[in-house]
Amino acid sequence: MRELSTDVVVVGGGATGVGAARDAAMRGYSVVLVERADLGQGTTGRFHGLLHSGGRYVVSDPGSATECAAENAIVGRINADAVERTGGYFVTGPDDDPGFADKFLAGAATAGVPAKEIDVAEALRCEPRLNPGIRRAIEVQDGTVDGWQLVWGVARSAIGHGAKVLTYHRVTDIVVRNGAVEAVVCHDAKTGEDVRIACSFVINAGGPWSAQIARLAGCEDVEVIPGRGIMVAMSHRLVNRVINRCIYPADGDILVPVHTVSIIGTTDVRAEDPDHLEIPRKEVQQMLDAGEVLVPGFRTSRALHAWAGARPLVKDSRVSASDTRHMSRGMSVLDHAERDNLKGLLTITGGKLTTYRLMAEHIIDRMCEQLGDTRPCTTADEPVPGSESGHNYLVTHRLKDREAERAPGSGDVPTDPIICECELMTRSMFLDLFEQQPDAGFDDLRRQLRLGMGPCQGGFCALRATGLACDAGHADATAATNALRRFLTNRWIGLWPILYGDQVRQTALDYWILQGTLDVEHLPETEEVAS
Amino acid sequence: MKTVVIGAGLAGLVAATRLAQEGADVVLATKGLGGLPTSQGTIDVWGYRDGKRVEAPLDAVAAAPAGHPYAAIGVGAVKDGLAWLAEHLPDWLTGDAAANVWLPTAVGALRPTCLCQPGMLAGAGATRVVIVGLARLKDFQAALIAGNLTRTGRVEARAITIDIPARSGEADSSALTYARAADEPGFAAHLAAAIAPSLGSGEAVGLPAILGLHTPGVGRDLADRLGHPVFEIPLPPPSVAGLRLNDALTTLAKAAGVRVILGSPVTGLKAEGDRVRSVTLASAGHDRDLVADVFVLATGGFETGALALDSYGTVTETALGLPVRVPDGDLIGADYWEAQPLFAAGCAVDVSMRVLDAGGAVVHPNLYAIGGVLAGAQRWKEKSGDGIAVGSAMKAVAAIMGGER
Ligand SMILES: Cc1cc2nc3c(=O)[nH]c(=O)nc-3n(C[C@H](O)[C@H](O)[C@H](O)COP(=O)(O)OP(=O)(O)OC[C@H]3O[C@@H](n4cnc5c(N)ncnc54)[C@H](O)[C@@H]3O)c2cc1C
Ligand SMILES: Cc1cc2nc3c(=O)[nH]c(=O)nc-3n(C[C@H](O)[C@H](O)[C@H](O)COP(=O)(O)OP(=O)(O)OC[C@H]3O[C@@H](n4cnc5c(N)ncnc54)[C@H](O)[C@@H]3O)c2cc1C
Repeated sequence: MRELSTDVVVVGGGATGVGAARDAAMRGYSVVLVERADLGQGTTGRFHGLLHSGGRYVVSDPGSATECAAENAIVGRINADAVERTGGYFVTGPDDDPGFADKFLAGAATAGVPAKEIDVAEALRCEPRLNPGIRRAIEVQDGTVDGWQLVWGVARSAIGHGAKVLTYHRVTDIVVRNGAVEAVVCHDAKTGEDVRIACSFVINAGGPWSAQIARLAGCEDVEVIPGRGIMVAMSHRLVNRVINRCIYPADGDILVPVHTVSIIGTTDVRAEDPDHLEIPRKEVQQMLDAGEVLVPGFRTSRALHAWAGARPLVKDSRVSASDTRHMSRGMSVLDHAERDNLKGLLTITGGKLTTYRLMAEHIIDRMCEQLGDTRPCTTADEPVPGSESGHNYLVTHRLKDREAERAPGSGDVPTDPIICECELMTRSMFLDLFEQQPDAGFDDLRRQLRLGMGPCQGGFCALRATGLACDAGHADATAATNALRRFLTNRWIGLWPILYGDQVRQTALDYWILQGTLDVEHLPETEEVAS
Repeated sequence: MKTVVIGAGLAGLVAATRLAQEGADVVLATKGLGGLPTSQGTIDVWGYRDGKRVEAPLDAVAAAPAGHPYAAIGVGAVKDGLAWLAEHLPDWLTGDAAANVWLPTAVGALRPTCLCQPGMLAGAGATRVVIVGLARLKDFQAALIAGNLTRTGRVEARAITIDIPARSGEADSSALTYARAADEPGFAAHLAAAIAPSLGSGEAVGLPAILGLHTPGVGRDLADRLGHPVFEIPLPPPSVAGLRLNDALTTLAKAAGVRVILGSPVTGLKAEGDRVRSVTLASAGHDRDLVADVFVLATGGFETGALALDSYGTVTETALGLPVRVPDGDLIGADYWEAQPLFAAGCAVDVSMRVLDAGGAVVHPNLYAIGGVLAGAQRWKEKSGDGIAVGSAMKAVAAIMGGER
């Protein structure tokens, strides 16, 4: 067993976990973050992509709205390279109550959420695919955020402040002695080794898995119920702004343009197990009907991919309802000192990706309080690596980069082929990241590079990526082929529930290439042995 | 006799050419090119049955289960089709219809096919192989191919990569650009000079299928220069091997007197009683009715849009609105590697290739369907698409010219 020692262990590499690790590291603690898979593999990679302006909550939850408005500005600055400032509209559909817009405007004014009613004609001019039957339109400062870009930026910042980030390390035990946490034990999936990390404090940021993690410390009766939501990505930008229905928050009422696609969502259905979230056909149909209200002809546009994420709903009778000092809206904190007489463990779940930084601030404040420290939070002041310029990205950013490489005067002969044409990913982008993260699977690289996330869903680039991995010596043929099989298997999870229309055509072509021409299904199969 | 063939894939091209050779007046109306220019450039008949390798494809055809297109087509029409292709495309097709050959793919699997291009043949049964990658051709990754071929246990393969530009100033050249370069004199000598120093005795040389788009002898020339057997491996689209077959068949069709109307989808039909009188062609600016005695539907499968599944789960035949036979139960399953029942949907036909309705009655006595639009096959899993296309084309033409209506 490998041994490490640190002040704080953060469990979970989602937005909340990396945010907490960064915050604690910036306050001078030594920190180790452990994540059972890759960063952003949980809820943070299965969300809707909306950087809330606060608009959604101005009527239902004004406190949340105010927090979102403030954090929207901060995140847009410190995580600039993960954010696109698309702007957004709240629109009253043909059959929606036009009176809600008045409540909305009043609520926005009170909550401090910038919002301005505009002419319907102006909204339709800016967003021509929008339903011409809409009755009112309000402009807000919604943006979109790439969860993976954000998480990696925050993690790099934490590392810059001395934190250690261990991916593919699953927590298997939290060791308690004399009523206090003493160490965390993890299993390293890549080496098969166990790691014991001695520590004085543990932050459980396990999202919908946080009850399982709390149980490892003997806190048996924590109950977290996953609330499943599905999202469907359409093949291109049907709209360039976030489009929200101006109604009391409901299912399928937001369409978010993220990178080259637009995403409709979402639902909220109680699930059993956060590791097995289904995408029922019925809910897909519900999303398509909802999309049709915002953009007529939605059903005949091409659906690319679907996924599901889980909101953690904490059922806890022991949490004192009066104590909301340290709470961010929609976030649950379980103070295990108070609740279970166990020192050195705090559980934090819920909230929104938009407010990840604020949640981290609150939980690390609470940790400091318990440790008897008064170190101030500075996370809002410093951009993460890659965001120093403060420039937000535009949907065309990769096109601009590729153009620049090919422009006259930028060197004699271009040497960097484009491996994924849908997402303009070059060979060096792929190989450089592989170099930095040699343990990564293709899906891990995909999340950071968008490999295989465009219209062809890997039909063309999967083979190239496999070959490059082999050619550059990152994997032998067995490992590369296993990675290809896994990649195709995984892409299908989000593909088969939404197969209809033009995506069936694409799928037939992809099958013809991969199984028809290449015969991938008859490559020799070899079980992978952990090296 | 006036005939209209709809669709210019393998099925449509063969049917149109055969009809013209038999003296019919033929119009070939098509929305665009077929699957050939994107496919592997060999002629499959049946490669895998229930996941197992098929050694004798014609025996598999003879034993096709009811409901499979081959059950209606029969072994005779497939045999005739293969013989016809081999006779008419001697530069590009060779092989023994009775036995499959196993050829390396661009991911390093050994894949069964029936007829192949002469320049691919040395890949069958080669035991010591050098796979030659081109640094600027991203769809052919030599190390992966060599590694997987070695893993099959039947081949000992190694990889080398050479850097020969197809066009100056390009880091990223398509197979087509390379093939055009290889059509120019001097390219084979260039390749030979780059490869020769790395060869050991007794090794066969595997290259991406780029050795000439229209010049059949480039591979042989290279082999002579190297003194080693050379074989080509088909690539994903754009596939030079597939384009060769497509171009050769199109030339043949035109030479036989087929009139080709390109770029116009067929959008419907007009009937007189139970007979089709005309089909509607959506050409630029206005619709046009093509009147004929006989119509052959060769529009392909889901990949061309000939068959479609809408967001409510309904499958349709999109050109003429014909009845479709759809498998029972779930059409798409959760396992990528399993056959998806959806892709066996299509038109059901009788032994003359006339389209049937749900009750098994002929819909229009002068309307035939062939190729990818036919129900009952899992083509990419079986490796059966080409044989079904060619066989059904031969069968339909025999029925039409034999006067069976
Ligand atoms: C359907 C849906 C849509 C949403 N849309 C938006 C939106 O548009 N905008 C927005 O701001 N917010 C949105 N949210 C909320 C947002 O996604 C979440 O608030 C945020 O991602 C939560 O991050 P997290 O780090 O708390 O949890 P997670 O991202 O789930 O992180 C928990 C991590 O813990 C890891 N883990 C689990 N067990 C172990 C173990 N034993 N050892 C080590 N690691 C372990 C998991 O692998 C996971 O990576 C949405 C949420 C849902 C469900
Ligand atoms: C990438 C790829 C790989 C392949 N690999 C293999 C393989 O490994 N093995 C194998 O056996 N087969 C393979 N094929 C398929 C094979 O080449 C044939 O395409 C297939 O068997 C069906 O042939 P077809 O002539 O019926 O249809 P297609 O070749 O699909 O041709 C259909 C034609 O109909 C036209 N059309 C469609 N709708 C209309 C309309 N409404 N009006 C007018 N014209 C219309 C199209 O433009 C096209 O010209 C592959 C195909 C592709 C695309």
